[in-house]
Amino acid sequence: MVKEEVRSLEIYETGPTLTFSMGPQHPGTGHFRMIITVVGDIVVRCDPDPGFVHRGEEKLCEYKTWITNIPHLERPAILDSAGLVYPYVLAVERLMGVEPPERAKYLRVIMAELQRICSHLYWLGLMGVFAGHATMYMWCFGDREYLVDLTQLIGGQRITHSYFVPGGVRNDAPSKVPTELVKDFRRYYRMMLGKDYPGGEVPEDFRKYVLAVCDFFDTRLDEYYPMLLDSPIFIYRTKGVGVLKREDAISLGVVGPVLRGSGVKSDTRIDEPYDAYPYIKFNVPVMDGCDSYSRMMVGYYEMKESVKIIKQAVEQMPEGPVKLKQHPITIKVPAGEVFASAEAARGQCSFYIRSDGTDRPYRVKICSPSFRNLTAMPYLIRDVRIADIPIIYWSLNYWPVECDR
Amino acid sequence: MKYVIYKLKNLSLIKYIINWGRICSMWPVHLTTACCSVEFAALSGPRYDPERFGWLAAVGSLRQSDVLLIEGTVTAKMAQRVRLIYDQMPEPKWVIAMGACAISGGLYAKDSYNVIQGIDDIVPVDVYIPGCPPRPETLFQGILMLRDKIMNEVIR
Ligand code: SF4
Repeated sequence: MVKEEVRSLEIYETGPTLTFSMGPQHPGTGHFRMIITVVGDIVVRCDPDPGFVHRGEEKLCEYKTWITNIPHLERPAILDSAGLVYPYVLAVERLMGVEPPERAKYLRVIMAELQRICSHLYWLGLMGVFAGHATMYMWCFGDREYLVDLTQLIGGQRITHSYFVPGGVRNDAPSKVPTELVKDFRRYYRMMLGKDYPGGEVPEDFRKYVLAVCDFFDTRLDEYYPMLLDSPIFIYRTKGVGVLKREDAISLGVVGPVLRGSGVKSDTRIDEPYDAYPYIKFNVPVMDGCDSYSRMMVGYYEMKESVKIIKQAVEQMPEGPVKLKQHPITIKVPAGEVFASAEAARGQCSFYIRSDGTDRPYRVKICSPSFRNLTAMPYLIRDVRIADIPIIYWSLNYWPVECDR
Repeated sequence: MKYVIYKLKNLSLIKYIINWGRICSMWPVHLTTACCSVEFAALSGPRYDPERFGWLAAVGSLRQSDVLLIEGTVTAKMAQRVRLIYDQMPEPKWVIAMGACAISGGLYAKDSYNVIQGIDDIVPVDVYIPGCPPRPETLFQGILMLRDKIMNEVIR
């Protein structure tokens, strides 16, 4: 059956060009298939073929209630689960006309930024692998575990927390960190930085512990720079590869680090601030190299900014309730329609929701960042060598599940 | 003759040595089917280090692999590729179903029109690892169970 399909696309075509299929089983592309046409080893055409993980999330939303939609809505971007449910929760809140308590706003910001870092570390690690730099994978995944521990501490699960609910967050952050976690972190700190944690003991207080992890991670980020991002191999493989000019980026409608890597300053957190973002000072990194290197560097600097945001949010977070009192399991949402967006790790994620006043949505439409960045792929994977395909593919930080929904 | 070879191979010492060799070098196929792959990537990271259990890095081609780890949801479009990949692997081969989706369709079992409700319809499964997604520790348990299973296998 597969062979038939392949033939119908004129694969195995003889002549000056050769067309073949890359993926869906390929270490470089994951669950995504590209149909590539080459002359020699120069790619002349790339046709993306998404849809291998299409699970019908949008249709599923119509069968489940407002609350039970949350767990499956974070699955499309599981390594950035907070980013994808954020706009959903904002949209439902807007329809209900409620606002979460102050503390919840800060907790949401902390969670969203932690997930952004986790997602970017995943990206950086895999980009390292495809640039021929496996150490970067090990470093990123080693450090990522401590941030994942932090999200687990707040949300209760490693990567899927269902932490955001309309009207606040599910539970408060703990006041004390388990001793084993602190011990483990202390050991790791000594191992990676070659010295003890300043002042000896790592604090068990939640706020101080988060600050300690943030400081540690900031130092590690500085070490990443000479390791990968300033290394000649990496620069040689990424600079000038996959150039997406500013005008093209705007007209193709790409979002997130891809757009900012092309020199456009656009970030939902600044343009349409939500929750606690208006009270926090941070920069939006923009690079105008327009190539894979710029996109990667934007991701790198975003991690630094996220660390800043987490630190400020932890310091400014007030005491108080974390969710609204009137919060039964089956909430009813007034009839109407709403559009909300938030900045997920890969860029702006938007939800259009229509309600007919029952306990479940009438229609949910997701516009995910990977879906929007996919449009750039055929433009970028053209006139490049086959060996550059994984580099360009990963510089877009494309996550197939998020695109296919 | 075949019968004699079969008997010889399954003399307990020879059988033990062959199976021991197999469990010490399990090459997984890198087949990412859905979101469970994040935890699989975390498993390959330095905190968990699966190589101490004979689980090699998932970079091998299909023709050198012997374990197929299905990482999550298999949709109708993916199902035929899963089977194709399984068929391309050499014997002996084992299959691990990772996550609720691969076992039964998970979150999408009832309502989704495109999700296969469990991969045992497509390929024979040796070990099921529950969870959504399973933690890396759970994956370890799955790997250890597969090792036990291989250790007791008859050599054909
Ligand atoms: S079991 Fe859960 S995490 Fe794994 S693929 Fe299915 S939905 Fe994703």
